[in-house]
Amino acid sequence: MSLLRVENVTAGYGVGPDILAGISFTVEVGKTYCIIGPNGAGKSTLLKTICGLLRPRDGKVVYMGEDISHLRPDQILMRGICLVPQERGLFPDMTVRENLVMGGYIIKDREILEHGINQVFNIFPILKERGSQRAKTLSGGEQQMLAMARALMLKPELLMIDEPSLGLAPKLAREIFDTIRSFKELGMTVLIVEQNARKGLAVSDWGYVLDLGRERFEGKASEILADERIQELYLGKK
Amino acid sequence: MTQFFQVVILGLSLGGIYALMATGLTLIFGVMRIINLAHGVFMLFAAYITLLLFNNFQIDPILSILITMPLMFFLGVGIYKTLFPRIIDSPRYMEMTILLAFGLAMIVEGGLGFFFTGIYRSVNPSYAIEIFQFGTFYIPKAQLFGTLVSILLLGLLWALLNYTRIGYAVRATMQNRAAAQIVGVNVERVSTIAFGLGMALAGAAGSLLSVLFTFFPAKHWQWIAILMSLIVLGGLGSLMGAFTGALLLAVAAALVSHYLGPTWQPITFFLALFLVLLIKPEGLFGKKMEEG
Ligand SMILES: Nc1ncnc2c1ncn2[C@@H]1O[C@H](COP(=O)(O)OP(=O)(O)OP(=O)(O)O)[C@@H](O)[C@H]1O
Ligand SMILES: [Mg+2]
Repeated sequence: MSLLRVENVTAGYGVGPDILAGISFTVEVGKTYCIIGPNGAGKSTLLKTICGLLRPRDGKVVYMGEDISHLRPDQILMRGICLVPQERGLFPDMTVRENLVMGGYIIKDREILEHGINQVFNIFPILKERGSQRAKTLSGGEQQMLAMARALMLKPELLMIDEPSLGLAPKLAREIFDTIRSFKELGMTVLIVEQNARKGLAVSDWGYVLDLGRERFEGKASEILADERIQELYLGKK
Repeated sequence: MTQFFQVVILGLSLGGIYALMATGLTLIFGVMRIINLAHGVFMLFAAYITLLLFNNFQIDPILSILITMPLMFFLGVGIYKTLFPRIIDSPRYMEMTILLAFGLAMIVEGGLGFFFTGIYRSVNPSYAIEIFQFGTFYIPKAQLFGTLVSILLLGLLWALLNYTRIGYAVRATMQNRAAAQIVGVNVERVSTIAFGLGMALAGAAGSLLSVLFTFFPAKHWQWIAILMSLIVLGGLGSLMGAFTGALLLAVAAALVSHYLGPTWQPITFFLALFLVLLIKPEGLFGKKMEEG
């Protein structure tokens, strides 16, 4: 069964123009997806629409058979969809620990919350060391790890990460991609948006090319990586 | 030198109350990005309630905080729920809230003028004219009580923000509203509660103000102007900044008033506002303004 279906969604900001001009695609359980496309294509807008920060103007988002297009972000979160936004979305003046507590905000049971924090500290030991440091004082790589760790607090069914390698040195980016690969091994469904298309596709099963609010191409990540036309248009020459 | 310290003590003892006023305003701004121009008028509203309670039922003005705070909290929740949700999605939200708060201030001021007339009022319990003497220094009892109560309330607020679930949600929303939504905070609900809390603080400040200052309906413009300078000095949206700004300016105003004469006192606030905007517009504790 498909986990998520985006059906003919159009969306935009305020009274502005449509940024998404009728997008459809399907996400299957346990796979990793990568959305690529030029700046301003509407990739981030798509993720925001899925998690309820933006209401679709038309079309719908169906999750596990339920239409979630008109739910509030917290209600969508409760159903198991977590977003790591492009700007990381940390609380700059809160400590690393407090950020994780906020990641588990909808968990009301203190014990489960503490258990969750310990689990993500095991995945990201560096964060444990930095536990009482304010988020804004972390390095870029640590901030990205904290953002992902915070999303993991809820053990989401579907994890969406917007530009995981943005602003990171190659070595750190590689670490982040390794972490994403490990999510897949844990059985999680992951949807990433990535500028660094080659790296993004390399960790994914399936790829979507988005341009000007429309889907241009979709297919197996390995096929997209090999496709000459797409290489020329979206991946840049080697 | 003794003289100097005496003036500083008097300044600090008013600073606590200024801090209470500024904190309410900052809480509302921080969570909702609303500059609540009606904050001053709601302080006066609470001051008039305190006056009524004192004149009719002999309720001590400082104790009447127990009535004005919850009253203002629920009034705040009611006002927020009826007025704000309908404009929240507007692309002109910011401008609309300023006009809305401005209109609210005019209406309440008009109402106060209608019921209480424009004459100068103050609440005068027996201790209003008494002082505490310690060594060569003194401090008016009302100012001491007022400051102690302010500090107590600010301490409670601090504990609420740092140790409760709703407190975490309020802080998170102040620091990054979109991210708060992403982790599942119902920011509408948090906004309602924060507006109520800010109004409750205005209520407490109003009760204290009624003993320490004379008031009349139009006086709130002067108060809101002073409060704006306090929170701009501290850095818009920073609670720590509001607190520090309030203490600094209260002392500065007391010193100016003592050495240059009381007529110069109001100028202190506006000069500070002007200088801060000119030299360090983000204030002492504020973030540089980059994202809307
Ligand atoms: N909050 C907003 N209000 C108005 N317009 C917006 C907003 N956010 C994005 N846009 C507009 O929507 C369009 C698509 O933006 P989006 O962020 O979805 O692109 P993107 O594909 O994620 O690009 P990038 O690779 O640069 O992150 C852009 O033209 C942008 O100007
Ligand atoms: Mg983007």
